[in-house]
Amino acid sequence: MNESAGRMKTKWLVTVLMLIAGVFMILPFLWMISTSFQSASEVFSSWLPSKLDWSSHKRIWTGNYNFVPYYLNSVKISVISTVGAVFLSALAAYGFARIEFKGRDALFLVYLSMMMIPPQVIFVPKFIMFNWMNIYNTHWALILPGMFSIFGVFMLRQFFMSVPKEITESAFLDGAGHFKIFFRLILPLAKPALATFAIIDFSWHWNDYENALVFLTSPKLYTIPLGLQNFILENNVDYNGMMAASSAAILPMIAIFLIGQKYIIQGISSSAVKG
Amino acid sequence: MNKKKWLVSTLCFVIAAVLLAGCGANNDANGNGAPASSGNSGSEKIKLTLWGAVPAEAGPQAVIDAWNAENADVKVEYVRYVNDDAGNLKLDTALMTGQESDLFINYTLTRLQKRVDAGVAVDLSAKTDYNIDDQMGPDAALWKINDKYYGMPTKKNMAFFWLNKKMLDDAGLPVPPLDWTWDDVQQYAIKLKKDNVYGLLQHDASFTNTMDGTVAGLGVTKADGTSNFNNDLWKKYFQTLHDMMFKDKSTPEYGEQLTSKMPVDTMFLKGEAAMLNAGEFIFRNANNLTEFPHDFQIAFATTPRVSADQKDFKYPGGVGDVLSVNAKSKNQDAAWKFAKWYADGGMLPMASGGRIPSSKSVDSKQAIELLLKGVEDKYDVDSLNKVVFGSFESFQLSVPQQVVDARKEEYEKYFLNKQDLDTTLANMAKRHQEYIK
Amino acid sequence: MKRRSWIQKQGWVGYAFIMPNMLGILLFFIVPALYSFGLMFTDYQFANPNYSFTGMDNLKRLFQDEQFYGAIKHTGIFLLSVPVSLVLAFIVALVLNRSVYLKGLLRGMFFLPYISSGVAVAFVWMLLFQPSHGPINEVLRWIGIASPPGWFADPDTAMYAIDVVQIWFMLGYNMIIYLAALQEISTEQLEAARIDGASTRTITWKIVWPLVSPTTFLLLITGLIMTMKSFSLIQAITGGGPSGSTTILSLYVYKTAFSYYEMGYASAISWFLFAVILLITVIQWIGQKRWVHY
Repeated sequence: MNESAGRMKTKWLVTVLMLIAGVFMILPFLWMISTSFQSASEVFSSWLPSKLDWSSHKRIWTGNYNFVPYYLNSVKISVISTVGAVFLSALAAYGFARIEFKGRDALFLVYLSMMMIPPQVIFVPKFIMFNWMNIYNTHWALILPGMFSIFGVFMLRQFFMSVPKEITESAFLDGAGHFKIFFRLILPLAKPALATFAIIDFSWHWNDYENALVFLTSPKLYTIPLGLQNFILENNVDYNGMMAASSAAILPMIAIFLIGQKYIIQGISSSAVKG
Repeated sequence: MNKKKWLVSTLCFVIAAVLLAGCGANNDANGNGAPASSGNSGSEKIKLTLWGAVPAEAGPQAVIDAWNAENADVKVEYVRYVNDDAGNLKLDTALMTGQESDLFINYTLTRLQKRVDAGVAVDLSAKTDYNIDDQMGPDAALWKINDKYYGMPTKKNMAFFWLNKKMLDDAGLPVPPLDWTWDDVQQYAIKLKKDNVYGLLQHDASFTNTMDGTVAGLGVTKADGTSNFNNDLWKKYFQTLHDMMFKDKSTPEYGEQLTSKMPVDTMFLKGEAAMLNAGEFIFRNANNLTEFPHDFQIAFATTPRVSADQKDFKYPGGVGDVLSVNAKSKNQDAAWKFAKWYADGGMLPMASGGRIPSSKSVDSKQAIELLLKGVEDKYDVDSLNKVVFGSFESFQLSVPQQVVDARKEEYEKYFLNKQDLDTTLANMAKRHQEYIK
Repeated sequence: MKRRSWIQKQGWVGYAFIMPNMLGILLFFIVPALYSFGLMFTDYQFANPNYSFTGMDNLKRLFQDEQFYGAIKHTGIFLLSVPVSLVLAFIVALVLNRSVYLKGLLRGMFFLPYISSGVAVAFVWMLLFQPSHGPINEVLRWIGIASPPGWFADPDTAMYAIDVVQIWFMLGYNMIIYLAALQEISTEQLEAARIDGASTRTITWKIVWPLVSPTTFLLLITGLIMTMKSFSLIQAITGGGPSGSTTILSLYVYKTAFSYYEMGYASAISWFLFAVILLITVIQWIGQKRWVHY
């Protein structure tokens, strides 16, 4: 409202600079789309297709490559895992951040240390365990472990810790218990953090290749990252198909980001713009 | 208002709890029925799963469709795995459960060896109703482990040079003789290279063919048991290839090829290279004239040896696609029946992609016709018969993967000009030596 | 005094909050981890039921393994990407939080790399860094550098090129978490400082940076851990080459386990990796009091 012309100028300048940087950031993505519209013999020889070739995009939705079931499987696994992970992580994070109890800090370090185990070496034990639990080659082999996120606990704990203590203390004095404070005060306050974690967690599940690879063997259970393997042929790669499928695979992720970022940036419009 | 929020939160919690509890009980219902009983009572319909690395649409789907049409009582399903570390891990875990994989195809001796060690491959030599040696020819014996067959080779492996006949003619060069050498390759490449046309391109999978064929003849170790990775023939070959890259510039520099992910088959078919070192897997694209149109004939040459007087050079090839029956499968008899059917002609639909059955029960003319259907005029028949369908003494490389990787690291340094030739050979031998004990 | 004892009495509530999550962590992380710890002392080959106890052999081998030392060095270079992407992300988040137009679009652009992970992007980076005709070297030549580096085609520079890709990849992740943290800073505080005549630089580094220090701490620790564990990007771009120059520890573990099937030795490398990360984390944990403000 009261922005001076000079400030507006700098703001536009910064915007343009950031846009240039942004284009650089999405260059690989643009290239991916461009390749998906090229013909097989054109791949890698030019940056732009000589003419739009839709065949790759058609191919991934029909016949052998049909991505629809992969899509549905991915959506199912990612959504359930993410919802579970956000809720369970928030609970634990609150426990670690706001409740004093014996052995809390030691326990938290044990937690953290588990994040450091390279996943490759626990594949085999996990495989043996899942086989025994009878969930090998079912979606549960991905969903169940997916609902427990150490990163989520850590991240949300950091955020909960920076919520001013005064807010919860006055609630205590009013006689509220921890569960009440958690649901009524902390969760609404932590919306940006929850949304952020949800986006990141969702992207992990959405792009998870290795777990799906080892724990799912029936093609009808496959997720998108496994579907993408169809384009790796015996001695070469079907780049057009892979790029078309990759472009399609990213769309739900973008949707999740757009929905989530509404919560991440809440409040900015009221304070910063006037600045 | 607040009550409403409480309600929502509690609901979320309940949903999560139900989900948690549900998974314990729910897993079979939600699964795919795979872990369910697949007993061999006979009255029940048997379901077999076949694992292979060939994309389903490149033949396997047609193969199992044909089987399923003929055999109502045994239904076969095909699962495709990518033949890399990750894909093999997937197969190996599935093999251990015994329910997800009844038949599987091995592509290297190393992987087959691991599976034999793990006890998941049935000894097929014990079967009295099928003689693998008789059916598949002498090359099959290279796949024996502890003198037994744990899988049966089903196809002819082929590796050779693809030549652009038109470019050869233009340069006045004849189709090379069967015993040509890398010196000849070097001369051919110099004469064939033009602006934007390489004299020679090599597919990753074929890059080490000459090296391997050489030690297959010489022996990977010397008489005294030390590594033979510093032999003079390799030295000469490395030198020649290095000259072609950096002096003649008739083949791409190693780093160039590494970083541009050159689609070598496409480049060859587009006329951007006169010679291509690869295998039968190029047929699939070469026969596809809609996506890869080309107006020249293709001729063939053998994998060159290093020097003309090299006597014991062996050729990459022999037989491959080794089909095994999972020892943990509940339906081994049905699986074995399928395996025999597959090898003795069932696999024919894959011939159009270059997979020629090795069983003598299959009329090879029929397979070749399938391979060349509609594109006969695109190939030079004489060299095709001599090279692609000729018979040569072959080998299967049997050194551990670690050694193969170590060797690659060392020769990469040489071809990237980070290490001189003598050090490279010395290091290759040294690192190989660590695994000989 | 009275309130304090009440909180202590509420100790069980703490466990109640943590329990659901902890059961899962126990089942899906701790139990398999203990199992792999046991494997370290065996010669277990993946899938092979016959194996024997070999005591400390795998650990002894570790310290004689030249490839292992190489992998440590490469991992060190790889970790340089963590602080760099962190600082860059902080600056981007600040700018995107306040002083630009088209915020939503820009945020999306910067976050896209993180969600488009996969084989697809790897090829593009290959082409961008292509030594003879890739755009990056074209630019370098244009500004007068006669022989620009070979990047992925040169064992001496490949790891640094990987760093660039990793920074590009992690930037969006760090940025989005910083953005969430910046929401908690009250604008009044910043306005007050501005009225007092503080420059933008002072406000940024003397007020905002300390205020987001818990987030920086989080990102530093998780960044180091995730970077040490991650290898799929490297796998897709160089596969660990050329000449093994981009084989970091985690990739070496992967190869040892699933290409060479030496699960016992892979466990030994992993637990070494674990020990290193744990050490780094504990040091940071102790050091945090000096710079993290809750």
